[in-house]
Amino acid sequence: MTVFDELQQAIINGQAALAKELTKKGLDSGKKPRDFFPNAIIPAMDEVGRRMRECEFFIPEVLIAARASRAATDLLRPLLVGDEAVQAAGVVVCGTVKGDLHDIGKNIVAMMLESAGFRIVDLGVDVAPEKIVQAVKDENANVVALSALLTTTMVNMKGSIEALKAAGLRDKVKILVGGAPVTDAWANSIGADGYGKDAPAAVELARRLAATA
Amino acid sequence: MTENKTYRITLRPTHAELRAAAGTPLRDVLFEQGVEFPCGGQGRCRGCRVRVMEGTAGINPAQRERLSSEEIEAGWRLACQCTVESDLVIELLQWDAAILVDDTVFAFQPRSGLGVAVDLGTTTLVAQLLDLSTGRVLAVRTALNGQARFGADVMSRIQFGVADGGQRQLTEMIRRQIGGLIEQLLFAASLTCAEIADIVLVGNTVMHHLFCGFDVAPLSHYPFESERTGLARLGARELGWKFAGDPPVRFLPCLGGFVGSDVLAGIMATKLAESQNVQGLVDLGTNGEIVIGNRERMLCASTAAGPAFEGARISMGMRAATGAISEVTAEEGKLHCHVVGNAAPRGLCGSGLVDAVATGLELEVIQPSGRLAGGDAQWMLAPPVALTQSDVRELQLAKAAIAAGLRILLERWGNPELHRLYLAGAFGNYINRASARRIGLIDFPSEKVEAAGNTALLGAKLALFSLDGEDGSFQEVRRRIEHVSLNEDARFQDVFVEELTFPQSVHARD
Ligand code: B12
Ligand code: FES
Repeated sequence: MTVFDELQQAIINGQAALAKELTKKGLDSGKKPRDFFPNAIIPAMDEVGRRMRECEFFIPEVLIAARASRAATDLLRPLLVGDEAVQAAGVVVCGTVKGDLHDIGKNIVAMMLESAGFRIVDLGVDVAPEKIVQAVKDENANVVALSALLTTTMVNMKGSIEALKAAGLRDKVKILVGGAPVTDAWANSIGADGYGKDAPAAVELARRLAATA
Repeated sequence: MTENKTYRITLRPTHAELRAAAGTPLRDVLFEQGVEFPCGGQGRCRGCRVRVMEGTAGINPAQRERLSSEEIEAGWRLACQCTVESDLVIELLQWDAAILVDDTVFAFQPRSGLGVAVDLGTTTLVAQLLDLSTGRVLAVRTALNGQARFGADVMSRIQFGVADGGQRQLTEMIRRQIGGLIEQLLFAASLTCAEIADIVLVGNTVMHHLFCGFDVAPLSHYPFESERTGLARLGARELGWKFAGDPPVRFLPCLGGFVGSDVLAGIMATKLAESQNVQGLVDLGTNGEIVIGNRERMLCASTAAGPAFEGARISMGMRAATGAISEVTAEEGKLHCHVVGNAAPRGLCGSGLVDAVATGLELEVIQPSGRLAGGDAQWMLAPPVALTQSDVRELQLAKAAIAAGLRILLERWGNPELHRLYLAGAFGNYINRASARRIGLIDFPSEKVEAAGNTALLGAKLALFSLDGEDGSFQEVRRRIEHVSLNEDARFQDVFVEELTFPQSVHARD
């Protein structure tokens, strides 16, 4: 097994300390920081997503895998600064909409997107539309991912989209929505670009939409 | 043109025969029969499934999204998405709810006249007529909350309420329904024209607001706090009720957030506020209310467990009615399922679900992570009833919400030794305490856990006897209860995620 294969396994198994150690080992043996992503981290998180889909993994397993992935990326990110060949897959502004404090699902989505190579600007919970508009401007984002878990706060997704329209930014970004009460039909009705039923779907969608953004 | 054509609808298994005009939503027809629509008829929850045995009912995209092609083939439909277009024979997945009626003996100071106590639940209503001089219950009436057609949980109800004219509709509906129940109580006791001295209601904050006609908009979003949570005094006449003597009506005060007077009533009924030792009270319903405390200090919270314990969102979930597997045990590796009414197994109710998972953990058919061993998609309990992987996941979410809420309240109190834990509500009576412990839902020794019955109704009856007119004891106790908003607790997520897994084995934790 190569060090990349081992690292991939360590992430899937959620072994953060081992993942960190293997990343160091790989760097010491001369591997380029940017090569860790396509060869270990992204395939590992894709596999985690697959297992989540098949019900093999549940929230705790996904969270510890994401933690292991972060142990590796925390070492790699500083080394990537200034590497012209590295480009984020896209910049995602994400958050739970106004009035809503549920964030476990949103956090999982953010972590999976991050491991898939996106740069994440997480605005947290109870996020007002103006904050989203500001972040899209400041961070030059091309994807907005909104989460809502309450029937009563779902409507605030619409408000956020309206605010982006009013600010003239609607065409600049692709908007993904999700969370337990959200449906495809709802996403269409508020003019979002896509609905994802779970975190792997969020990654797929973001990849597809960012490519056309 | 044959306008106003009507069709005949026969229900199984009750054999009720109904008539409805062409084009009538099936939802309206079935609602009258007590069928519930958990997601408010939005085609999202599958809770309203019916099987069309004769006749036809159309399929739309919402149904195609939520039903498998096998199900559609077999005649399953989402009743909330269908209209009446032919004569129909349909089988209902839901049965009449078994509603818990409190019949506990309680200490009281006699006064004269008749009193009415009402437990205004999100799902069910229970009303009792009492002779206040003897404390005797003269009549009992139960019903499903008529608002349920606009959504099963409080959030769906609020959502309907904040829409145009919704609030007024909900308020009028519930006032009319409870007025009707009281009339029925008087009729049943052959006291139709008698004067009522006092009427007391309890319920959660949303039910309180909807009944009293207070704006529910503040409850629709963070921080979920309303100004109008106090004791509400109303008159029968202003509620549109015509009872002799225009009796006073009191809706007892809420405790904070969504925690309402049903929990305050529970505290009074269990005497938690007088206890020297620290005790707990847990309601395993959708809102998952929890109280921890003693006479010095009481903390309360609600944890949004969701309706898994009521059988909703469980693939073969149902209420504890005929055909429900209500107990699961294993002897030498062989499964035994107890079915309500000794009928053929048709589904799984809350207590059966908890038992099944506890048994699965013991047999190692289910791993502590919640994964079905061998990666199976389901575990057959008693054909055709099976437990699926996603059922286990739903239970994990509900269980973790309660367990995390309990842990956080206990920590906030200072990790006291808990002397007794009361389980309020119907589910508390049916759940097997050892199983609840095995899955880590209620991690306390069985002998400390006590099913307390409908403590909300019992507390409401006690309030009928608080004589000082200022509701002294209730108001005083209420001031001593602190509401904890779990969504502001920074540790909630970590504790919740920890509690998502099942304990390795109970013995290891004693
Ligand atoms: C945990 C929980 C809480 C915790 C939240 C902790 C936290 N930090 O998030 C606490 C206790 C604080 C809480 C509070 C409340 N809750 Co709550 N809560 C839940 C619970 C049990 C689990 C939710 C969860 O985390 N699921 C797991 C995650 C991983 O799933 P998920 O969020 O759906 O995310 C996945 C997908 O949807 C998708 N996804 C999510 N976001 C996005 C975004 C995009 C862009 C995409 C593509 C995909 C995507 O990917 C995720 C991963 O696969 C549910 C009940 C249940 N069984 O689901 C109730 C529930 C959501 N809560 C509910 C309610 C009512 C409340 C309260 C109002 C009640 C109260 N008692 O105070 C408060 C409100 C708090 C607030 N202001 O938001 C209701 C909502 C009902 C309704 N019809 O709206 C539920 C359904 C329970 C119920 N039936 O009563 N809650
Ligand atoms: S699917 Fe019909 S009520 Fe939910």
